[in-house]
Amino acid sequence: MATLTETRPSSGASFPQKKKQTKGQILVDWLTTTDHKKIGYLYLMTSFAYFLIGGVMALVIRAQLAAPGLDIVQTKEQYNQLFTMHGTIMLLMFATPLFAGFANVLMPVQIGAPDVAFPRLNAIAYWFYFFGSFVAVSGFFTPQGAASFGWFAYAPLSNTTFSPGIGGDLWVFGLALGGFGTILGGVNFITTILTMRAPGMTMFRMPIFTWNTLVTSILVIMAFPPLAAALFALGADRRLDAHIFDPANGGAMLWQHLFWFFGHPEVYILALPFFGIVSEIFPVFSRKPIFGYKTLVYATIAIAALSMTVWAHHMYVTGSVLLPFFAFTTMLIAVPTGVKIFNWIGTMWRGSITFENPMLWSLGFLTTFIFGGLTGVILASPALDYHLSDSYFVVAHFHYVVFGTVVFAMFAGFFFWWPKMTGKMLNERLGYIQFWLTFFGFHITFLIQHWLGVIGMPRRYATYLPEDGFTWMNMVSSLGSILLALSIIPFLWNVYITYRSAPKVTLDDPWGYGRSLEWATATPFPRHNFTSIPRIRSESPAFDLHHPDYAAPEAKAAAKK
Amino acid sequence: MKANYLLWILLTVFYAFVTGGYHLWYFLTYGRWEPIGTSALAMLTFMSAFLAFYLWKTHRTQGVVPEDRLDANIEDGESELGFFAPWSWWPLYLGIACSLVFASLAVGWWLTFFVVPLAIIGVVGYVFEHSRGQHAH
Repeated sequence: MATLTETRPSSGASFPQKKKQTKGQILVDWLTTTDHKKIGYLYLMTSFAYFLIGGVMALVIRAQLAAPGLDIVQTKEQYNQLFTMHGTIMLLMFATPLFAGFANVLMPVQIGAPDVAFPRLNAIAYWFYFFGSFVAVSGFFTPQGAASFGWFAYAPLSNTTFSPGIGGDLWVFGLALGGFGTILGGVNFITTILTMRAPGMTMFRMPIFTWNTLVTSILVIMAFPPLAAALFALGADRRLDAHIFDPANGGAMLWQHLFWFFGHPEVYILALPFFGIVSEIFPVFSRKPIFGYKTLVYATIAIAALSMTVWAHHMYVTGSVLLPFFAFTTMLIAVPTGVKIFNWIGTMWRGSITFENPMLWSLGFLTTFIFGGLTGVILASPALDYHLSDSYFVVAHFHYVVFGTVVFAMFAGFFFWWPKMTGKMLNERLGYIQFWLTFFGFHITFLIQHWLGVIGMPRRYATYLPEDGFTWMNMVSSLGSILLALSIIPFLWNVYITYRSAPKVTLDDPWGYGRSLEWATATPFPRHNFTSIPRIRSESPAFDLHHPDYAAPEAKAAAKK
Repeated sequence: MKANYLLWILLTVFYAFVTGGYHLWYFLTYGRWEPIGTSALAMLTFMSAFLAFYLWKTHRTQGVVPEDRLDANIEDGESELGFFAPWSWWPLYLGIACSLVFASLAVGWWLTFFVVPLAIIGVVGYVFEHSRGQHAH
């Protein structure tokens, strides 16, 4: 396959020096890029910036709740804006585009393609996300402040009577634009995976991360159009008095159905790609192939298919949804999720495990996510959910699920692919310090919130009374959040010193046991990804190439010919 | 491509089953139908069927391609994969123009009046970028 690369450096040798660019040329190069890797880096950088912004908001929220009766934020309205924008930023401006970032950088390489199917569309998707997010958060620069109706914008709270001000309008239309970006990105990924695989890369030889990108993109094109439609209808309500979500017409339930029809699959859009990341990491550091490749793929498809049928478990307390149906489908999701966890443990079982940073973060993911999954089953049963709904138990549950998957697996992916993306390895020791700070910081912050919820602390309240008995638990949680915030410092320092002084990586596969195709090309990637692609005979072509004695049987047979 | 359309057929069957099941269960419990969820699920069924049909049709016309053969070598693929834009200003321009249009819906109609033409220019420029100039087909 020709990838139209004129220079052909031998793989492993240092990449040919490009002509030195001026600062302006570099800027123009990034602004006009259609290279999937650069767009991926843009996604990763932007979403990480939003992660930091959302994190600062969370710290202000925790400071406000550290003791009863504080007024760290001057008005309750500001508190409402903080938790609304914290949720919005973390879900739609950090985690979702983070998926697009990892998928952009890795997926085309993993299937042996020179780029994505529609490079310019890819760039449009990024810029829609970038400017759409800016529009949505720009409410903070308006006199009345940003949106304050909670990230799920329940009607009628989100109409102009109860939430006047331009911040809400900007939120609605900004998210609509960002949503279009996500849809375009999803379409692009699906097309790329279906049409641009290298010869021999059959669907059942794709790396698990690529499979999860495909399934996640399918979820995107199923879930985001209803959100876009609902947001436009809400915009019409706010700007044109359309009365679509007027409670008199049953609009309150209409909004909740439409929102959660998007909102629940969205959680899996966040989770699945990060399951994919750890599925790439476990085999490499266990020196074993992934255990149960096909069951893992089918489990992913099953989770995705089921996740479209569970939306109303967020609406149990409305009293007008079909409880047994949604409880049943929700609990059913635990089965394929359990299959995945079984596969990951099976991969490590009797493997020759080493605990480099990517592996450590993946184990942190596994531990944290299992906790979140277990409380999810508790919340799936209506009898318990009636008591726990909208309490801190729910807050603890979804932070375990989302932080466990997205943040732990994000750092696992950063440490794992940093040499591929930048040509330098991140510092291991700083990574260990960061890991243990994050791990303890996270669990101190959120474990205690389960009990806070059980004794009755409701979510989204700006303060509480000493007589409520919530004080010491909130103090513990707030102290934990400080530890969690500190854990970012070693990472930023790590990125800085790696950039300044880490030695260049020259090996194609610096970890030694990499399996998928990105480990068979030069470090960092050449412009169109490959100067040559190895023969593909199993789901781990790079491993077959580098370790011919231990290669898959089909690969050995092909090599003999 | 077989795995591709089978995936969508699987989803079609699953969502058809869920749509029917959900509707029936709700109807038997409450004696009326639940319009929102049922129609959303029905549309999922339709979309899955639509894509299954398209991929099946493509598979029929295209035959077996190298990326679906277990024994294909890299050199069995097409030597030229297609045209990839080396760079483009239009995505950035379209991003700015469209975000102005969307923001104008929130800010005020006077702004919409000015920025919609900018977005139209962007769409035209994007579509015809490779029909003229340096990178013309």
